[in-house]
Amino acid sequence: MHGMINKSIEDLVTINFGADKWEAIKAKAGIKVEAFVSNESYPDEMTYGLVGAATEVLGLSVSQVLFAFGEFWVLHTANKGYGDLLKSAGRTMPEFLDYLPLFHTRVALIFPNLKPPRFECSDRHPDRITMHYFSPRPGLSAVVSGMLSGVAKLYETPAEITQTQFKDKGADHDEFLVCWGDSIKK
Amino acid sequence: MTGPQTKLDREQFAELFPFHFVVDREMRIIDAGDVLLRICPGITIGSPLANAFSLFLLASPTLHIDREYLIKHKSTLFVFKSSSSDLMLRLQLVILGDPERYIFLGSPWVRNPTELKALHLVLKDFALHDSTVDLLQLVQTTSTSLHDAKQLALRLELNRNELKELVDTANAPILTVDLLGKVRDWNQTTERLTGFSKADAVGKQFVEDFVNEESQQGVRKLLDGSLEGVKNARLEVMLNTRDDRKLLVIFSASPRHDALGKVTAAILVGHDITELDEYRTTLENRVADRTSELSLANAELSRVMRSKDDFLSAMSHELRTPLNAILGLSESLCEGVYGGLTDRQSKSINTIAESGHHLLSLINDLLDIAKIGAGKMELEQSTDSVEDVCQSSMRFVAELASKKKLRMSLVIDPNGPVVHADQRRLKQILVNLLSNAVKFTFEGGSVTLETKCHLERNVMEFSVVDSGIGIAPQDLERLFSPFTQLDSKLSRQYAGTGLGLSLVLRLAELQGGTVSVKSEVGVGSRFTVALPWKSSTSDIATNDHAQDQHATEFSAHESGPLILIADDNESNLLTVGDYLRAHDFRVIEARNGLEAVKTVRTRKPSLVLMDVQMPIMDGIDAIENLRGDMSLAAMPILALTSRAMVGDRERCIQAGANDYLSKPVNLKQLVQTIRNHLNVGPPK
Repeated sequence: MHGMINKSIEDLVTINFGADKWEAIKAKAGIKVEAFVSNESYPDEMTYGLVGAATEVLGLSVSQVLFAFGEFWVLHTANKGYGDLLKSAGRTMPEFLDYLPLFHTRVALIFPNLKPPRFECSDRHPDRITMHYFSPRPGLSAVVSGMLSGVAKLYETPAEITQTQFKDKGADHDEFLVCWGDSIKK
Repeated sequence: MTGPQTKLDREQFAELFPFHFVVDREMRIIDAGDVLLRICPGITIGSPLANAFSLFLLASPTLHIDREYLIKHKSTLFVFKSSSSDLMLRLQLVILGDPERYIFLGSPWVRNPTELKALHLVLKDFALHDSTVDLLQLVQTTSTSLHDAKQLALRLELNRNELKELVDTANAPILTVDLLGKVRDWNQTTERLTGFSKADAVGKQFVEDFVNEESQQGVRKLLDGSLEGVKNARLEVMLNTRDDRKLLVIFSASPRHDALGKVTAAILVGHDITELDEYRTTLENRVADRTSELSLANAELSRVMRSKDDFLSAMSHELRTPLNAILGLSESLCEGVYGGLTDRQSKSINTIAESGHHLLSLINDLLDIAKIGAGKMELEQSTDSVEDVCQSSMRFVAELASKKKLRMSLVIDPNGPVVHADQRRLKQILVNLLSNAVKFTFEGGSVTLETKCHLERNVMEFSVVDSGIGIAPQDLERLFSPFTQLDSKLSRQYAGTGLGLSLVLRLAELQGGTVSVKSEVGVGSRFTVALPWKSSTSDIATNDHAQDQHATEFSAHESGPLILIADDNESNLLTVGDYLRAHDFRVIEARNGLEAVKTVRTRKPSLVLMDVQMPIMDGIDAIENLRGDMSLAAMPILALTSRAMVGDRERCIQAGANDYLSKPVNLKQLVQTIRNHLNVGPPK
């Protein structure tokens, strides 16, 4: 997993719950890494271990932790890490979402070892879009919900995110419907 | 306005090259991509290219764009700088079919996402094939990683400083020694203790320069072990100091590893034990002094104890000699040897005899306790019938028991028919316990001697059970202390030395045994002596090497002549026997003539003291029987009798006795007579 993900979990916990909680989570997950480096690749088990330990230490459910992480990832980590580049991906939320598949493709080309997920867009409308999420890693759809929610907040666009297809219920990938503007009012 | 001469229409061309522009022969802009037109307001269709851009060259001022220069350098990468903004375009000149149309293809030169924003560009403005976006993403993530690495380095630096501070301020000498034996680190405490600064120490040989000669070999081994991976090896090390003070440190050495796990140095963490060592030395000296004082005191105590024992021994012997005379004469008087006595005289003589016996037992007990205390009591181990030992012991108290109308009984455990012990001492134990039981049991009561063999524990128990007055729980503790009778009233009521139970305990312990007691006031008491026991005599012989060794030593020591005393009177056996033992004779006993004959045949004594009047077979018959055996012809037999009647001497001599002594016998004279017959002198 991309080091930035683990760093993001660290920041999420440290900023919202305190450094002692982060040390407790690290200890519980048995992780002895002093600090994560963004572009390094770390074993997926490490990230899953951190999430599992975080649920125990923080007293939250797995989906709560993952959703919070998804939002935090966009609003804090990616915003900080990619900065203007992130904003350059689109002037508006729809533009950003439309560009997201290409963004991940470029990441995959730059860091072939990181195995980033793949996004696709379909059913583009002025007030809604369908996002398709493909990943070999199980159980992370709540992260995507959180990220989409984070993107809406980043562009200050009220939006509703609904997961319409579930990989863990047999579908070949997860699917999300993002609505804004008039489609919400309806 | 027409598009470039390709099969692509203008829109398709613009999508592929959003930042392109086309100029004519006069260097006027005749077309441009929409994105370029949007971000670069200086570009106007039909206007000269030179109005919008200047040419950027390394190491030169910007150049005015002219056609000849561009044509001449058309194979190079051109960088055009916008006249109206910070935009710089990296461009390639392409001349397609129409030689009068120059097409410039390229994209903005941006080095980071911030510049992108400043130029009002978004990623979608770039063509998909344009790697500028990838480069920006790469630059951004690399920059982030660099930032992370800096943060990590900062954090590690902080940790390192904290660690260094910890090591420096630790109140323990800490240093590292590399593979070449050179000092690599040297903390402040080491500086303070040795007086050598870190600058003095680093790079120098630790062992040769800082370790006292006497500790050098040990430290080399310690370091070698540590550099081979041994952890936490400890050693007391004498270190050199700048002012030649003594400095003793106990070091714990462990290997230090690099990132690849290779040992690079040994880390020594120490503890200054100089003061502790001084305390230890002082303490050891004091202990040595005290030990010396104690040794002297012990020697003095031993001398005093020996003196006490010698005194007791001498006094006892000296007391017993006249006492034997008193007892013997009393017995003779009672038996009418010196004529008839009035009732009053008889009572007085009996009182003298009883008092004499009491005094004798007191002296004997005292002597035994003194011997045990001095470690001089030696045991003569033998294997004998349990029943014989018990019967013999019970006989000793039979008379008194009969007088008190006590029911006496003996219960022998068939699992333990024999016992390996010093029979005389075992009998002494049992007689003491039985005497007490008889003494403290009211008329009509009962006394039982029972044995119990615990095969699983290899223990033989002898218990004396009475229905006597019993002992209160609070008195049990001091029961075995010498000179203790629990109730002063009892002392008056029941005669006794107060030494009996103390002696029982010591004799039992001497044989590796224990004594226990259960008692209830008004109900009775049970005294139990537990002795080590083996299932067979052969086991004892093979397994109890210590006892065999002891027996051998005993035999070597007790090498005096073996004397058989045949007498049915227990007091006489005790009195004469003890006296002879005291004069280095070995003594065996028989209680009637028949037993005497059997014992002579099996034990082959050096001399026999034969009482004339005995049950079952009297002394005269026994002497005759023995003299009938030619192999015993050389064995002296001395007849002893209290009758002193005319003709006794002749009857005895005629039966085969070598000599005749009438009771009360003078014990000194008896010993002299025995020596004369055996032709031996007094021991040296």
